[in-house]
Amino acid sequence: MVLAIVIFAAALVVIATDKVHRTKVALVGAILVLVTQTIEQEQAIEAIDFNTIGLLAGMMLIVKLTEETGVYAYLGIRAAQISRGRPLAVVLALAVATAVLSAFLDNLTTILLMVPITFLLADTLDIDPIPLVIIEIIASNVGGTATLIGDPPNILIAGATGLSFMDFVANLAPVAAVTFVATTAVLYLFYRKRLQIAPDVRERLMEIDARRSIEDPAELRRAMPVLIGTILLFFVHKQLHVEPATVALAGATVLLLLTKTSVEKALAGIEWSTLFFFIALFVMVGALEEQGAIGKVADGIASVTDGNRTAELLGIAWTSAFASGIVDNIPFTATMIPVVEELRGPGDDAYWWCLALGACFGGNATIIGAAANVAAAGMAARAGQPISFWAFLRIGVPITILSMVIATGYIALRYL
Amino acid sequence: MSPRELGAPLVREAPLLRDDTPVEEAVRALLDADLPALPVVNGAGKLLGLFGEREFIEALFPGYLKELGYAGFVPRSIESVIEKRQTCRLEPVSKHLNREHVEVDAEFSDVGLAEAFIHHRVLVVPVVDRGRVVGVVSRSDFFAAMGELFLDR
Repeated sequence: MVLAIVIFAAALVVIATDKVHRTKVALVGAILVLVTQTIEQEQAIEAIDFNTIGLLAGMMLIVKLTEETGVYAYLGIRAAQISRGRPLAVVLALAVATAVLSAFLDNLTTILLMVPITFLLADTLDIDPIPLVIIEIIASNVGGTATLIGDPPNILIAGATGLSFMDFVANLAPVAAVTFVATTAVLYLFYRKRLQIAPDVRERLMEIDARRSIEDPAELRRAMPVLIGTILLFFVHKQLHVEPATVALAGATVLLLLTKTSVEKALAGIEWSTLFFFIALFVMVGALEEQGAIGKVADGIASVTDGNRTAELLGIAWTSAFASGIVDNIPFTATMIPVVEELRGPGDDAYWWCLALGACFGGNATIIGAAANVAAAGMAARAGQPISFWAFLRIGVPITILSMVIATGYIALRYL
Repeated sequence: MSPRELGAPLVREAPLLRDDTPVEEAVRALLDADLPALPVVNGAGKLLGLFGEREFIEALFPGYLKELGYAGFVPRSIESVIEKRQTCRLEPVSKHLNREHVEVDAEFSDVGLAEAFIHHRVLVVPVVDRGRVVGVVSRSDFFAAMGELFLDR
């Protein structure tokens, strides 16, 4: 058991330092637990949740095949144009667009689509793009909390539990909506001086021809019904007795058939490094479970809380938020899932919602808290306007605390 | 025909840019040399990369342009771009150079040169002899020589 813990802890530490790609680290960890026979190969393969992998791969394909049409750039530009260059309206438009897209794509993809457009809009309006990018990062993590497919921790939880898309919407969307309003308001007040837009430059926004961002209208007409149909299918997948992965992969397959994008190009849009990261992670967590380490952690928590449900629920939520700010929220959630499974009573799903809220909201604390944050920081650096660790931390920590206070109130009202 | 008959006569002397050369000065050197790119070296004369047409365009336009998949909907004029990016004039070329490791040695073959142009998105290939850049071969010169030979046969 000690070996499994040491390998996993070492992998987490190296991932946190960001010196070596997280997928390389996780693969080394997975190979080590296999070579040392901390877990047998057959058990390791069983530990891989192919529902999660299938859902991720399917959504990546859908995003790649619809992104080619230019529809997301169109939505970003139109959202900003509706604001007519008024600062508060610009913030609201971009934040709402980011949150909604995050809920139905995923927060990392949304950030990759929205941030370049935001740089363009900020350049057009002669304002600092960084406050807008930070607002979008936070909106994407909060918006992604609302659905099963919005944020990787939720995808992991769904894969492990079989909870449906509607279960996630019913339990997480209300608190995500309230948190979105509160955090966006605070962020606007915090950054309002850096978001002053001169009245004479506001008209420039309207000069951008959003329609020209649609690169292939015919492709868009073929792809959009499939995208909308796939999202609608997520809402009823439980009634249809199909897993979310099946919905995503079916949508991706229909898009592959209907659109002009070649299979090779579409498959190149899959973030293979992310998929292998998840696979390696499942193997390492499988080794921890196999060796009884997860059971010991669960027993430890139970003895500290003395089996008190309130303490356990709030402890899971706040610990998850704190830990997700320091380490990547994906490995943290993967580790916590079997712990929560042991702690919770039969049919008590409140534990899962506390884990999801903590892991998703906690990702806002630091620039390394979630993959979306890291991607946004990378794009900002490449655009010559880096976001420093401290600049993000200064607003990320208060925003996370605010989110978790709202989440705590919600948990108390609904589950205690 | 020997393995280097086509490329060897195409080697041109080229001014070398130092890594701390300002972009403004580098652009002037590019225009004066009538070459699409020039080698950039450090104080010890070691080849660091290339600065040319593509790198200048990247330096001049805002960094986010590379992140946009498509920018046909941006109506801005080139005058406004130059106006906004005046600051890049004084930036060192080291900030913008292409650091892809592309070079051939003094004994290069025509096939080796062709391979460098096929595998790398460069407009010139530096020729390096004992660690020093002795010249460059431009892709357009290589194409012209190759095209004539192709049409003659």
